[in-house]
Amino acid sequence: MDLTPPDATAAAVAAGPAAGGGAVARLAPGPDGLDRDTRCDLRRREKEIARQFHSSSWAYGVFAVCGFAVWLSFFPLAIAGLLNLPLAFVAATALIIAVYLAGHEAMHGNIGRRGEKLYWLNELAGFVSTIPIALSFGAARITHLEHHRHCNDPLKDPDFSDQAPGPLAAWYKTWYNRQPGVDGSVHHYKRVLKNLGTPEATRALYGTLVLQIVFLATLFTMAWTGHAIAAALIWWLPRHLALSWIRFYFSWAPHHPRQGRSGRYDNSRIFRSRLGRVLTFETETHLVHHLYPNIPNHRTRAAYFALKPILAARGVDVSPL
Amino acid sequence: MEKAVKALFSVMPLLFGIGFIAPLIAQAMAAWDWPAPFGLSHVAFGLAVGGLWGLYANIRGRWI
Repeated sequence: MDLTPPDATAAAVAAGPAAGGGAVARLAPGPDGLDRDTRCDLRRREKEIARQFHSSSWAYGVFAVCGFAVWLSFFPLAIAGLLNLPLAFVAATALIIAVYLAGHEAMHGNIGRRGEKLYWLNELAGFVSTIPIALSFGAARITHLEHHRHCNDPLKDPDFSDQAPGPLAAWYKTWYNRQPGVDGSVHHYKRVLKNLGTPEATRALYGTLVLQIVFLATLFTMAWTGHAIAAALIWWLPRHLALSWIRFYFSWAPHHPRQGRSGRYDNSRIFRSRLGRVLTFETETHLVHHLYPNIPNHRTRAAYFALKPILAARGVDVSPL
Repeated sequence: MEKAVKALFSVMPLLFGIGFIAPLIAQAMAAWDWPAPFGLSHVAFGLAVGGLWGLYANIRGRWI
């Protein structure tokens, strides 16, 4: 693949036709050092490559529904005394994270769009995927799409409250943002939905209130009927751990340092985690998701390697991977 | 309705302390066979700790 890095393009433009600057020499390079023609060409090739990685994501829908059903089955099994609670705690945490991740595909309509055969599965998977974190699918979808639309905008990005100077501060922030008097996490989402004020946002807001009441009523009822430890190990603690994990690897790590990085190619970073690709939900290559949200999660890494020369030419730091 | 929900959520940390933390403390102590101090029952001790902790979270806006 013949790609010219930004500094070389700028040099060619500066050197003029003899150096290969040719027609583009007449156009002033942009802030990225690329002239308009080069940018258009890169974008065209980027789209062609990305198109090869779009594929059906029905398996995410099936996984979300089945994973949710398994997690839900823990409740009657625990009440009946048929569950190993420490093991159920680990499984519940993993399931809540994994089901949310599958639901993320539904937020982008990757399982099925309106009018398509699998639209019902998309909506069902989305609906169940956010129940364990006590957030309505509507709220998760609207705020996530707002995050994509206004990525790293301090005022408009609903996830901006996850900003932190380093990993330790970021882990702390995942917990701090959930405190009752702090305008972060779900509290911030509620405010964003209220400010949007659309009928869809209002429905999503009420859906979240209903789910939070169901969540609390379930915990209170189980607790006062002698199943407090089961409720804590199946829902309360796994939800907290899952939310921290999700906020850290899905929001902080790929978007750090956020401030001033709202461009198409710098709103996410390429990074390498010691935990590897699976435990970080492939967010090491989260930039690809922001560029092409309809590429399913399991293909973003392959798409990244295919797009790597183009991303490098765009000025993305591709050295970590 | 909206006012009622708002009122409910404004005291939610206190309710959570009484509704969940209290029985959780009581049942955890019973499960590990820890006696409650001051001659209190497990539930009474749980309610004291959960209630006060919830009240603290309600006033301060943080659990810790």
